Amino acid sequence: MKFRKVSAVVFAATAALSMAACSGSSSGTSSGGSDGSSFEFWSFTGIDAKGSAAEYKAKRPDIQIKLTEVGNAQETAQALTTALAGGKVPDLVLIQGDDLPKFVQQPQNFVDLRTMGADKIKGDYLDWVISQPTAKDGSIIGIPTDVGGMAIAYRADLFKKAGLPTDREEVSKLWPTWDAFIETGKKYTAATGKAFVDNAGGSVYSQVVNQGQEKYYDPAGNLVYERSPQVKAAFDLALKAVAAGITAKQSTFTEGWSAAMKKGEFAVIAAPVWMLGSIRDNAPDTKGEWNIATIPGGSGNWGGSFLAIPKGAKNPKAAWDYIAATQSPQGQLDHFSKARSLPATPSVYKDPKLTSAKDEFFSGAPIGTIYTDSLLGLKPFLIGPDSTTIGTEFTNAITNVEQGKGDPAKAWDAAVTNIKNAIGS
Amino acid sequence: MTTSITPTTAGLPPAPPVEAARRGFTEIIAPYAYIAPFFLLFAVFGLIPLLFTFYVALFDWNPIGEHVFVGLDNFDRLLGDVRFWNAARNTVSIWLLSTVPQLLVALLLAHLLNHVRLRLAVFFRMTMLVPYVTSVAATAIVFVQMFDRDYGLLNWLLGLVGFEHIDFTQSVTGSHVLIAVMVTWRWFGYTTLLYLASLQAVPRAIYEAAAVDGAGNVRQFLHISLPALRPVIVFTIVTSTIGGLQIFTEALLVNRGAANTCGPIRQCQTLTLFLFEQGFIQFKFGYAAAIGVALFVMVVGFAGLNYFLSTRIRPVKG
Repeated sequence: MKFRKVSAVVFAATAALSMAACSGSSSGTSSGGSDGSSFEFWSFTGIDAKGSAAEYKAKRPDIQIKLTEVGNAQETAQALTTALAGGKVPDLVLIQGDDLPKFVQQPQNFVDLRTMGADKIKGDYLDWVISQPTAKDGSIIGIPTDVGGMAIAYRADLFKKAGLPTDREEVSKLWPTWDAFIETGKKYTAATGKAFVDNAGGSVYSQVVNQGQEKYYDPAGNLVYERSPQVKAAFDLALKAVAAGITAKQSTFTEGWSAAMKKGEFAVIAAPVWMLGSIRDNAPDTKGEWNIATIPGGSGNWGGSFLAIPKGAKNPKAAWDYIAATQSPQGQLDHFSKARSLPATPSVYKDPKLTSAKDEFFSGAPIGTIYTDSLLGLKPFLIGPDSTTIGTEFTNAITNVEQGKGDPAKAWDAAVTNIKNAIGS
Repeated sequence: MTTSITPTTAGLPPAPPVEAARRGFTEIIAPYAYIAPFFLLFAVFGLIPLLFTFYVALFDWNPIGEHVFVGLDNFDRLLGDVRFWNAARNTVSIWLLSTVPQLLVALLLAHLLNHVRLRLAVFFRMTMLVPYVTSVAATAIVFVQMFDRDYGLLNWLLGLVGFEHIDFTQSVTGSHVLIAVMVTWRWFGYTTLLYLASLQAVPRAIYEAAAVDGAGNVRQFLHISLPALRPVIVFTIVTSTIGGLQIFTEALLVNRGAANTCGPIRQCQTLTLFLFEQGFIQFKFGYAAAIGVALFVMVVGFAGLNYFLSTRIRPVKG
């Protein structure tokens, strides 16, 4: 009897161990192989990683790129987290700016790119952008691929119907401030009976809060969201837009938002540079009816991504060669002309290739200059590990009021309570 | 064990002791070897993850950083977390809204499909499975579009007959109903077939005799079908409780604007979605594991309670 029990346990244990051994070996050195002529690259969808990889392959036919478009930016960050925890990591990974702080806090998971030569090229990038992937210990875990300049996309044809100016210079003059933006919205809604802007959370709050010099953290990394005047001002402006009745109440990237955009149910969207592709894909029939004006309140940045090499990478050298070649000022400029991602390298901002870039979908708007102008003189804020969560809670509170369910007078307190619940401080 | 020698073995020479021992050992080990695959698979995919979850729940566990032992702090925090109670409330509400109608509809359909004179019975029975084999994600996308506030088919119809548009995804009740409708739609066919299979085992003669005695369809249903189905009803209640408390995909896809919370005020965030949010969006694995443990306790509790109630409450025999 005893023997049977023991043997069964031993059998089970051996099986379990052998399985563990199998899964363990995949993270070791045996599989894959570090041949130096290939590397595995995880990117997210919608930023034309295939294009960048193809461009690189044309220059370096000896290198094989195993590209995986994991999903959207957040899904890619999740997959990376799982991979880092499990041990089987790609050689190169693209991380969105909002997801970066969680990884920068744990720099031991990544190759310190200073050892690869990042020290020599870090001056090529906007200071405040290269500071984001720089960890407390000074190590640099990522190289910026692009930044997210801000502007407003509007439907010139709908503006005409509402009796508003349609020229982009004149439209920009309509809204030097966000209050003026809301007033313009009231005029539009009064004239057409339709909503002016898609929503208050995405197109007002998220824009204003990204234009400040201090957002949810102070420069020392302390949480200040509750007493930050910039955050409160952004929140109040969003509620003001809701109260003015000029929003279409369509949350960004939802079905209703897409449908409303196609039907022209709203005339204006705040459009960080990466939003242009979404508009183009979503409402292809509206080509030529859109135009781009400057954003109220001047400059600001929202978005941007970084390339990083996980510590367990098998081919860090091949991955670094890719970074060095594609993310040089010239490389980012080349990619801009193809994929419209805005360079993080200010030395090319006066390059004719960028200043002469026009987008036909948006009535030939000079997107190169509009977006780079929005970055000049920018004094950016610190993005912390809980910035995304805090932003989501504030936006949710605004959306709740917008949908007619929440009391505007209690919205701020509700958001703060939710944030404290969510981040535990 | 008896020590008496039976006539059949008495005349045989005794077997060599070694061989007997070997045969004995093989015979003893063989049954365990046959069932071993189940227990191995259960251990690897069931027990070890479960125990590991209990373990992780005791830590402040950053998947890419430190694991700090915090004891029962995660559970302590969980009990005081309004988001947890909100998710628990939503889960129970959605579960009741989806399970009760689903089982009732399935009962009636099974009874109808079991009817002797039904034409094309096989065809109807096959169609029951169509919702079940449709992918959850596809179902959710179609339903969310149908229930859309501005452009949905349902609100368009409501508008035609003069009602106001209902904002299904943004209100608490509306979103619960929407998810419940999706769950019901997906599972009623499966449950119907389970009931039908059980009903087919009831001899036709009983229905015929009842009909001769003057029992109508309703009486036949109440006094023949329902008692016959009791064991399978218990089974479906228990399984749909387990499934109902773990609703995830539908809730995730209802509110794309704020997917992880199922809306700006977490109006339809279920426990599994809350777990997902904490674990894979916030990367608080310890806290997520604590939610998992709480969910496990709830499922076991509800399933036990259901079983207890449904075996106690017997339909009146007539």
